[in-house]
Amino acid sequence: MSDGEPIIDVSGVVKKYEKGLIPALNGTDLTVRRGEWIAIVGKSGCGKSTLLHLLGALDRPDEGTIRVNGRDLATERDLNHYRSREVGLVFQLHNLLMTLSASENVQVPLFEMGLSARQRRERADRMLDLVGLAGKETHRPTELSGGERQRVAVARALVTEPPILLADEPTGSLDSVAGHRVLALLQDIRVKTGLTIVMVTHDPDVAEHADRIIRMLDGRVVGEETPSPQAVRTSV
Amino acid sequence: MTFIALITKNLVRQPVRTALTVLGISIGITTVVALGVIVGGMKATTSQILRAYNSDFIVARKGAADLSLSTVTEQEADEIARRPDVDHTIRALFDITQVGDNPFFATMGVRPQDLALAPPALVAGTILSAGTTEEILLGDAGAANLHASVGSTVELQGRSFRVVGIYHTGNTYQDNGAMAPLRAVQDAAGKANTVTGVYVVVKAGLDPVQVAQSIRDDSPLLTTVANISEVSRVDQGIVLMDALDLAITALAVGIGAIGVMNTMVMSVFERTREIGILRAVGWRGSRIMRMIVGESLILCLIATVVGSALGVAASRAVLMIPAVQSVLDPQYTVNIFARALGVAIAVALVGAAYPAIRAVRLAPMEALRHE
Repeated sequence: MSDGEPIIDVSGVVKKYEKGLIPALNGTDLTVRRGEWIAIVGKSGCGKSTLLHLLGALDRPDEGTIRVNGRDLATERDLNHYRSREVGLVFQLHNLLMTLSASENVQVPLFEMGLSARQRRERADRMLDLVGLAGKETHRPTELSGGERQRVAVARALVTEPPILLADEPTGSLDSVAGHRVLALLQDIRVKTGLTIVMVTHDPDVAEHADRIIRMLDGRVVGEETPSPQAVRTSV
Repeated sequence: MTFIALITKNLVRQPVRTALTVLGISIGITTVVALGVIVGGMKATTSQILRAYNSDFIVARKGAADLSLSTVTEQEADEIARRPDVDHTIRALFDITQVGDNPFFATMGVRPQDLALAPPALVAGTILSAGTTEEILLGDAGAANLHASVGSTVELQGRSFRVVGIYHTGNTYQDNGAMAPLRAVQDAAGKANTVTGVYVVVKAGLDPVQVAQSIRDDSPLLTTVANISEVSRVDQGIVLMDALDLAITALAVGIGAIGVMNTMVMSVFERTREIGILRAVGWRGSRIMRMIVGESLILCLIATVVGSALGVAASRAVLMIPAVQSVLDPQYTVNIFARALGVAIAVALVGAAYPAIRAVRLAPMEALRHE
């Protein structure tokens, strides 16, 4: 499943905050292959979320290079296009727009794709069907459970059919049952579409779902491991 | 979901704030519309006075602050009448006095022989007889206000006049007033041997513009007015009203824009995190800007409808005052509502500019961290 060519190549990335006083990433290197699911783990402040945000082009690195699907994010001029086509983002808190229905939330990224209103709705509803929310298209986030909201967020992240999903603690705000359903959903979609998943988590059980676990400390990748199949079965 | 539907949902989420903002802008639009109707009405009335008696133009005293204060001597009027390029003239003295409930009752003093050349459309009776000093014609609205009819006697400035005819010109000002013999009006007003102006009809085949220019050249102390655009030569009131109208329109734009800006700044601030999400899913800055400006435009378009309706209502309320009814012919023209729309669009664009730029400049990560 993860024998493809590298789709993400991070090399010597440095990112500092507060005018350079607080280093978040300190020479980070990482390679992710197409179709691979990796989990980035580490203590709070180790730089795992910062790395994910740089991969999502929500911020730019101070030093180093980040190449994603052939694009160099340090020099990429159209980051909006990159964000809408190359990556989908899922946050710990679902970050849905509360005034919109589930279907409308999923339609939001499609506004940049030049589709008609009808095409947007049909595509969003198909995506909701894929994440198991058929029949809840018109429900507002307040009418959905935490797990359902996160599934809407996954649908929104993937509706533009990006090759990469970036998930920042995707189960962090969910109970264990809902959390595992979301992880099973991601695995199912990955199998069907060949999606590459980069997931940040502090939960070892969640990390066990990945093909590879990347461990970070003080802004650097300090090790990696392959989860045992037994551990994944147990957690599910 | 269409983009406009998305924008509308953003406005509906804070219904009270949206309603108050619309109300604030509407007040400005109301003022613009009501003032536009009133100023337009004044101009229309003045235009009708300028072109009374089917004349080509009126000759009046140059530099008069108000047309009614113009004084042209009868000697000057005779010289104009004798010109070879003039077919005939109607010299007129405007006298405005309180009669009954109407504080602006306009009596136009005219010579009966002049009136015979361009008689008003009579509803009843006849025109003034030659040499009379005791007869009067009443406009139909004036006659109704005074409860007078042909054969009645009316009192004007202590003089009694016998009503011999009722006319209708379509000019609110004239139809609420009267036409009386020039000599009698001169005596009543204490303006012997003077008139307010001389209506001129040029000889057939001649260009009225050239004749007017010739009169101005020959009589440097007099001027000619053919239409409302030339009225500033003899009437500063319209100029003043135009300036007031412009100032209030500018004020409406300024105050409205501040209101919209306040609303949109608050809205953008409250939705900082949402804007971060929109950027994170790939929305371009231009789409964020269109969303903010679109919200502002919808606010202002609703305010245009509400403000226009209130403006019409306000102008009608003003017209319920009898004194105003007698001098104003309200004008509900497309121009007035187009200007209201223009004001609303200006308010929307000016008011949304800063919040839209602020929203576009938000860094996605910074916006997503916003609580």
